[in-house]
Amino acid sequence: MEQKLRQEAKALLEQGKVDWIIGFAPGSLKFTTTPLITQDKDDAEQLVINPFITNNLANFLTEIKGRVGIVAKGCESRSIVSLIQDNKVARENLVILAVPCPGIIDLAKIERLVGKDRDELDDITRDGDRVSVKVDGKKKEFPIAQVLFDHCLACELPTPQEYDIILGEPRLPAPELKVSGQSIASLKEMTPAERWASWENELSRCIRCYACRNVCPACFCQRCFVEETEPQWTLPMPHWQDNLIFQIIRNIHVAGRCTDCGECERVCPVNIPLRSLTREMYDIVGELFQFKSGMDKDALPLMVHYEQEEAEDFFR
Amino acid sequence: MNKKVSKKDIAQLLKTWSQQFNVLAPSRDSGVAAMAEWDGKDTSFLDWYRNTVVPPKASFLPPMEAMFRFRKDEEGYQIEPPAKNGQKQLLFGIRPCDARAMAILDMTFEDAYKDPYYLEKRKKAVLVGLGCTNPCESCFCTSMGTSPTDPTNVDLMLIDIGDHFFIEEVTAKGKELIAKTSGLKEATKNDEAEAEKARETAYNKVSRKLDTEGIKDNLLESFDDEDFWEKVAAKCISCGICTLLCPTCYCFDINDELVKGEGTRFRSWDSCGFSLYTKMPMENPRQEKWRRVRQKVCHKYEFYPMAFDVIACTGCGRCIRLCPVNWDITQVIESVPARVKGAK
Repeated sequence: MEQKLRQEAKALLEQGKVDWIIGFAPGSLKFTTTPLITQDKDDAEQLVINPFITNNLANFLTEIKGRVGIVAKGCESRSIVSLIQDNKVARENLVILAVPCPGIIDLAKIERLVGKDRDELDDITRDGDRVSVKVDGKKKEFPIAQVLFDHCLACELPTPQEYDIILGEPRLPAPELKVSGQSIASLKEMTPAERWASWENELSRCIRCYACRNVCPACFCQRCFVEETEPQWTLPMPHWQDNLIFQIIRNIHVAGRCTDCGECERVCPVNIPLRSLTREMYDIVGELFQFKSGMDKDALPLMVHYEQEEAEDFFR
Repeated sequence: MNKKVSKKDIAQLLKTWSQQFNVLAPSRDSGVAAMAEWDGKDTSFLDWYRNTVVPPKASFLPPMEAMFRFRKDEEGYQIEPPAKNGQKQLLFGIRPCDARAMAILDMTFEDAYKDPYYLEKRKKAVLVGLGCTNPCESCFCTSMGTSPTDPTNVDLMLIDIGDHFFIEEVTAKGKELIAKTSGLKEATKNDEAEAEKARETAYNKVSRKLDTEGIKDNLLESFDDEDFWEKVAAKCISCGICTLLCPTCYCFDINDELVKGEGTRFRSWDSCGFSLYTKMPMENPRQEKWRRVRQKVCHKYEFYPMAFDVIACTGCGRCIRLCPVNWDITQVIESVPARVKGAK
């Protein structure tokens, strides 16, 4: 798969079919990758596909000018389609290199399972439905349901639907909704007062680094509402109540655009379980509007159109 | 003669110090590793602690801090200073990289303008360092003028020698504290030798290296190399992780919280990575991402050395570990065009 990707990417640049390639290169730390954004055909040799290609590369599309060849997992392809729906990128300017994705390994879960930090592990390898972790010379095996990201366990589209070149055999979805929905389920079991207290606790840690927003392909506003001063919707300092307002409004803004790629939660440096908000919104959108974001590039974006026959009981 | 303390007695030691200080120690209770008020019993951090995610600067320059309250009445504005927290902080377990960062922050906060909010807390505080035994893959302290067991910027330095911590008394403040602390044992010659061994072992475990020789001039020379800066900035997402959680970054924003004629003025962490940071009525000199990335790099490796003759980076590695896209400062420094050219 990697060899094919490198050849295709190199050819696309050589033949002038694209100006840019966006993919993944090896990262500088163990078990990491880093986004590779390049115009140089020789850089194609650095491209990798492995269980650690975490970033949602669609995030870079709105700031790059020209034609782009982009590596896309299922979630990325949905973010790309969503951006096309919103007229943020043009389909004809893209060459989508589809990666049928078997799910990405959540290093935080492995750290909890083996009681060591990621840089203390010797090796992590995946073989089918099992992941083995080598630590202190010993091998420990885990089923993938224990070590993939929650959003990967809920994935409905491992293989992009919208693509130009496919790298490997398509994979069918095999969601593990029960496992992936555990943290949301436990929140739902709480009383409203307990849930409020829980979010107060979680959001009190927020430092307003805005990584959740900046890593999100659906957060493409030129100017975020938190940066408005007239009126000032929320203060820029990290009062937990202001942090809550920020997250609630962000969630409403990305409703119908969020593809549950899980990046917001992954990048949060202070471990706020943000996917519990985004996935819940994703499910609400599905339930209320029978809408799944990023599935059909010709469909109108959810929040910008309205049909006469839409039931008014929506305004409850 | 140096002292030592048994690891079993750390809780007792912290209890003793709690009578005199507000003792802060590494904790994950809030959901993220940070220095937090010690709960009076838990010393489990001795097992898991490598470094905190939130740097100890937060104890002196909090993410958000009330500067004063104000009220408007018939006579005009009435200003009310914030309630003073007279308590002295004792930070137990600060790492040498972060202690050096505090010394670097002091230079700014004690410069032309003496910042009362920071200095009030800082001058009264005691820093008890804990030498690293297990540096992270992202650590590069030994390239940045310090080391995993460097005692330079703490009052007391503890070195792991097995069942005990060897105590180095560094400053007068530290010596005084030890003199007043009962229950400590005398360290033997053998303990001293063990401490020396521990220092060397830890030093050799720091595998990431960065050559900073001449970097200030290299950056000056490559300042206008727009192609280079655009390239290194390409994958940056302009979030605030690497700056807000940097132990030497100190920028803050000031905002008023207003409720009908009265309110509070707060300051809170800000980042040069944000495009709004330099926005002025007429223009924004750092509208483009590459200019902001350049600012971040140059402030640490060029401007701070110009102003204070020290690089404002201590190799703690947080910016590398926590970056959402693995933007790695050591790779960027190594690839500065004037540097690459010079190496040839």
